[in-house]
Amino acid sequence: MNKKKPSSYQAAFEELQSIATQLESGEANIDELSALVKRAKELVLYCQERLKGTEKELSES
Amino acid sequence: MEHHSLSEFNLLVKQTLSNHLAPSYWIVAEIGEMTVVQKGHCYMDLVEKEGNFIKAKQRATIWSYAFSGIQSQFQQIAGVPLKKGMEVLINASLDYHEVYGISLNIRDIDPSFTLGERERRKQETILQLEREGIIDLNKSLILPQVPQRIAIISSETAAGYGDFVNQINQNSYGYQVSLRLFQATMQGDQAVKSIIDSLHRIYELEDEIDLVVIIRGGGAQTDLDCFDSYDLCAHLAQFPLPVVTGIGHERDHTVADLVANVNLKTPTAVAEFIISGLMQFESDVLELFQKIGEIARGKVQQELQLIIESKHRIALKTQHILQKSSFELDRIVQLLNQKPKDIIRSKSQELNALAKLLQAHDPKEVLKKGYSITRINGQSINDQTKARAGDQLETITYDQVLTSTVTETKKTS
Repeated sequence: MNKKKPSSYQAAFEELQSIATQLESGEANIDELSALVKRAKELVLYCQERLKGTEKELSES
Repeated sequence: MEHHSLSEFNLLVKQTLSNHLAPSYWIVAEIGEMTVVQKGHCYMDLVEKEGNFIKAKQRATIWSYAFSGIQSQFQQIAGVPLKKGMEVLINASLDYHEVYGISLNIRDIDPSFTLGERERRKQETILQLEREGIIDLNKSLILPQVPQRIAIISSETAAGYGDFVNQINQNSYGYQVSLRLFQATMQGDQAVKSIIDSLHRIYELEDEIDLVVIIRGGGAQTDLDCFDSYDLCAHLAQFPLPVVTGIGHERDHTVADLVANVNLKTPTAVAEFIISGLMQFESDVLELFQKIGEIARGKVQQELQLIIESKHRIALKTQHILQKSSFELDRIVQLLNQKPKDIIRSKSQELNALAKLLQAHDPKEVLKKGYSITRINGQSINDQTKARAGDQLETITYDQVLTSTVTETKKTS
């Protein structure tokens, strides 16, 4: 699975969508589940951080 | 030769003109130059052009008593004030003054002609953009999902610009948006060139910008002609970044609005549009995450159910096996308990039977029945025995030994 920071909102959003699809189709097994949900959480945080600029403020401080 | 003084001649000209000309004429002309002086009089140079060539030119005046009425009526109907470069239909009389020469005295200007003329020019711009196939180019650009780096073309002093910046920077959701102002003159002769210059500067920074916003303060209805200019609109249409307009007018759209990716009425509306776009994105992301959470929880629940079922099945099966084993064990234990007893009983029966048989043959038992054993001279009697008189007999009964003497022998008959 992709562990890097997403390159853009678009990429983050697409990855979230693909996680949802993967889970819906039943492709993901229970071993992967926790990692997928964790990754989804990271992606959401990434989007919010970028929207609200907290990331920028953190890296500047 | 007859002589005239200059004044006499000028008077002659004046009389000839007034005799031969109607009191007033409707004339179409372009305003070449226009000045309003302190006293409120308006001086114009009217021209007729053919391309860049000036075909005709005439001085004209609107006296102050007429000017304010003409100007306000014109602005009300045409939507713009009178200005240089405008095509107008005027009603004027010819004045000839012996000192100042010929001048047109404008009595009225028909605003609907100019309105029509502006509309015609606007349509011409639209047609040309269509002909060149560029009119929808900017519209066809996909708006960025999250426009956070915004180039603003505006005048720094415009009220609309301040409103826009405040509304973006003070959004209550905490969204960070980077705004860069590219100053431009937003009205008058310089507007088209100035806005195009700003577009060129933004183009240099294309990779650092998501969206171009063109805003202009509202206030009095002023001149929007620059936004119908072919030059500007062709640049806007072909600009590689999406353009959003908020030109601040309530009337019909300008051509710039028509070619822009998104057109909104006011700078405030543009700010709302940007913020609501960011909100939409955040809500989409959260919704998707919630969905992922639900699916994952469902999946965990499903697995738990499977585990519980398996556990149950295992317990049931185990119980079954245990029951079966314990039953078998019981059976064996019972068998082990019972079998020796059976064997003992049957052996003892056999033994008893044998004992009875043996008892039946016991000599004592025979003697009990009345039989006796006789010996002769201490010897058992058999077919060889030859008893003679005088032999000693010993008779053994059940409980006595009798001794006797043989007196006679006879053969058994």
